[in-house]
Amino acid sequence: MSRPQPRTEQALDLPDFLQEVEQIRSPSTPNKTRDTTRDTTRDQAGDQTRDKAPVKSSAIDRTSVESGLWVFIFGDMTLFGAFFTGFAWQARSEPAVFASSASKLLIGIGGVNTLVLLTSSLFVVAAVRAMHAGAPRPAARALAAALACALLFAALKVTEYLTEVGAGYTPATNLFFTFYFVLTGIHLLHVLIGAVLLFSAWRGLRAETPRVSSRFVEGAGIYWHMVDLLWVVLFPLLYISRLA
Amino acid sequence: MNTKIKLLCAWSGPALAVLATVGLALANVLPVPPAAHLDPHEIAQFYTQSTTRTLFGFALASLALGLIFPLVALIAVHMVRMEGRTPLLTFLQMVTGSATGVFLIVPMIMMATCAFRPERSPELIQLLNDFAWLMFITPLAPFCIQNVAIALAILNDPSPQPVLPRWVAFGNLWVAFLFVPSILPYFFYSGPFAWQGIFVFWLAFIAYASWAIGMGLVLRHAVLRDEAAVTMTPMHAVA
Repeated sequence: MSRPQPRTEQALDLPDFLQEVEQIRSPSTPNKTRDTTRDTTRDQAGDQTRDKAPVKSSAIDRTSVESGLWVFIFGDMTLFGAFFTGFAWQARSEPAVFASSASKLLIGIGGVNTLVLLTSSLFVVAAVRAMHAGAPRPAARALAAALACALLFAALKVTEYLTEVGAGYTPATNLFFTFYFVLTGIHLLHVLIGAVLLFSAWRGLRAETPRVSSRFVEGAGIYWHMVDLLWVVLFPLLYISRLA
Repeated sequence: MNTKIKLLCAWSGPALAVLATVGLALANVLPVPPAAHLDPHEIAQFYTQSTTRTLFGFALASLALGLIFPLVALIAVHMVRMEGRTPLLTFLQMVTGSATGVFLIVPMIMMATCAFRPERSPELIQLLNDFAWLMFITPLAPFCIQNVAIALAILNDPSPQPVLPRWVAFGNLWVAFLFVPSILPYFFYSGPFAWQGIFVFWLAFIAYASWAIGMGLVLRHAVLRDEAAVTMTPMHAVA
């Protein structure tokens, strides 16, 4: 096929996708690779498709490239599923201890933290959508908001821990508090790792030439939704189940 | 010949899991490990009830755990191809993988020491038992760093035909998370987060065994694929 012929869909998409990979590999020279790889097809039609490039390449990312991430997501949710089962199992053997201990938790802070995490997930959705639309700046703003929510969650959680320990409730108090501190502690570790992912995505998008792929933002977003989902199960299990 | 050695290294992963399981079962550590809340006499009795069998079990387990080193080397050979001229993560993987091997073998020797002189004072046996179990379970940092190093190398593999599939990276990150509760035995004598607890010993044991089997099989597949690619090339050239 010679130059004036219209190119096929694949021929349009693949180079853009490779460029994006190239951008992640060598953040210092993103513009050069982008220009030099689009050598012979530099006509008007080519420039038009280049403007649409982010949308098309992200469509490829979404369907095929990062499917391995689900191994981690389902694996990690299996681990927490085992934790929840273990908690429920022990709660059946000492229902009175678990009920009276659960009533000592600060349900106000827990409830606010639930809203904080749900809000952060909304911001992450906005960021991923902005990336699909090829708009890195709004995506960066949404990521910054999600990051702020993550830090607020961590701060509230630490406040809660300090209040509880100050009132004399520690992981050694009884099995309920052991589960409470361990499960929320491991969840908090997930939140902090998620915050690092959100931060690196935000920093990469804020740079003069954005050097973060929509694949990375999407992967971090999926991880963040999992962190949110785990808390949405943890909160009723630990704080509210006594009401039933 | 080279392929045969590589395959041998790959199979050392599954062999490690099987033989170490047999060894620990012979030593009575499986299915119920000596618990942290037992008193010194119960601990001493655990090690001295059938001394020869216990010692044979620990001997087998300590030999089997040595099979981690060929697997670490084979992982390194594949990681070098991902990383190219600055194989930092490869070195990190080798150092931390080796440290993990040592942290698994030394406790076998210490537990064998508990059974070595049945007449020893129970308090001393308990001390050695505490040390052995805390060393066996809690040093998760080297292993988690090894998992993360493998994952980062795979995720940054620039080749259009990656050396290892990307899901292996995410599987390694998951295994790293499975080891997080293993730091908790410092704080508990009993319950699910003591060293004999379900979320510590059993979770870590299954995770490590599955990791060794999984990495062994994944690498075996990669070795065979490379072998096929090498033997196919001349035929393609002819055609």
